[in-house]
Amino acid sequence: MLKQKTSADEAETALTNQVAITTTIEDENSAFASLSASLAEIRKLKGVIGYILRSNTSAILDFTEPNKITENAILTSQIHDSCQEITKQFNLGEMESVLVEGENIKVLCMSIGENNISVFMEKNATHSWIIKRILI
Amino acid sequence: MTENYSTALQTIINEFKNITPEITNTFMFKKDGEIIASTETTSEDQNKKLITAFNDIADQAETLGGIETLTIQGADSQLSITSMNNRYLVNVSSRVTDEKMVKTLTSVIVPTVVKLVDQISELSGNELPQAKNPELKPIEEIGLPDKQTTQSEPIPEMSASFSSEPMLPEPPVNQFMIEKIGGLLVPCDIVRVDREVIAKWHDIYGDKEITQVHIETLEGKAIICGFKPIKETSCNAKGIIQFPEKVLQALQTSKGKLVIVKPEITRQGENKC
Repeated sequence: MLKQKTSADEAETALTNQVAITTTIEDENSAFASLSASLAEIRKLKGVIGYILRSNTSAILDFTEPNKITENAILTSQIHDSCQEITKQFNLGEMESVLVEGENIKVLCMSIGENNISVFMEKNATHSWIIKRILI
Repeated sequence: MTENYSTALQTIINEFKNITPEITNTFMFKKDGEIIASTETTSEDQNKKLITAFNDIADQAETLGGIETLTIQGADSQLSITSMNNRYLVNVSSRVTDEKMVKTLTSVIVPTVVKLVDQISELSGNELPQAKNPELKPIEEIGLPDKQTTQSEPIPEMSASFSSEPMLPEPPVNQFMIEKIGGLLVPCDIVRVDREVIAKWHDIYGDKEITQVHIETLEGKAIICGFKPIKETSCNAKGIIQFPEKVLQALQTSKGKLVIVKPEITRQGENKC
């Protein structure tokens, strides 16, 4: 079980490129913790350059390049919102995953319950395996 | 955007449903929101909302280096947006559709048609693209059009292939390995070709003046530039083409790589770019 840190100082010393934002200690979110553990494993894969895990109350952001955290967070938030709108407009059913490919990087976004996941990876990385790993 | 252009794309899009019945909606738009072609199954309101949502993502996607493709997998259907030369193809299909077929349509066939239609549009706009890489300057200045051309009505460039000049044989294609040349007296836009090969070209084309060669890398980069015979008469020159640095850069290639070379034969009525 992942213990969420409440003190900013503790978090800063424990994490280098990783940012953990938590607002509650008491509410144990088992799905969040489980996804967090899965993403920590996925993060080690070759080609994965970072991820964002966000629930209504907590968020974990881990990137190789910490200076891009803000940009990536804004982008993924926009992807989730805009794709929900597109999904509704075209009656695609419940949104399972979104893959956005750029020139060199691609980002995989998924919604599991109230948790939004975004995994940034190099374009040649295999995203289908990551989807399976997250859904386990 | 011409009407013909839109019609060509509309025809392709209409055929999608015949090829793969699982494709339910298809349309193509420009970044400014203009819809170029669309199936009847999508409403204008739906399309506009999608374009707005997509542009909202694209505005934030600098960190990815722009958007090449966006794919949404829903429980019942999937939607893909594929970027091609400042245009975007939207395709909605059921989840049971043949992935390879959809990929072939959206990533190969439509982009190829778009490219062809673009090229035809350029040609009809009196631009005859000859060298794919425009960095190298042409060796010869553009000759003045002959009297007959200036007196007649403007004729589309495509008609040049119907000139009354006798048919010339297809240029022979040779494959050479690149060798680099340098030095103060080496012109930066002239390549050097084996003397024997040049002699063969002259045998084929007789008095026809050959001043330029068409060079293409195995990766598809191509240029047209001037050439001279290789100075050394040693047998080492066989199968070799000598490139100055500028030509190497223009073709994004290097010493030891292979290139395909053929003489550039100018037919009557054709202009060099």
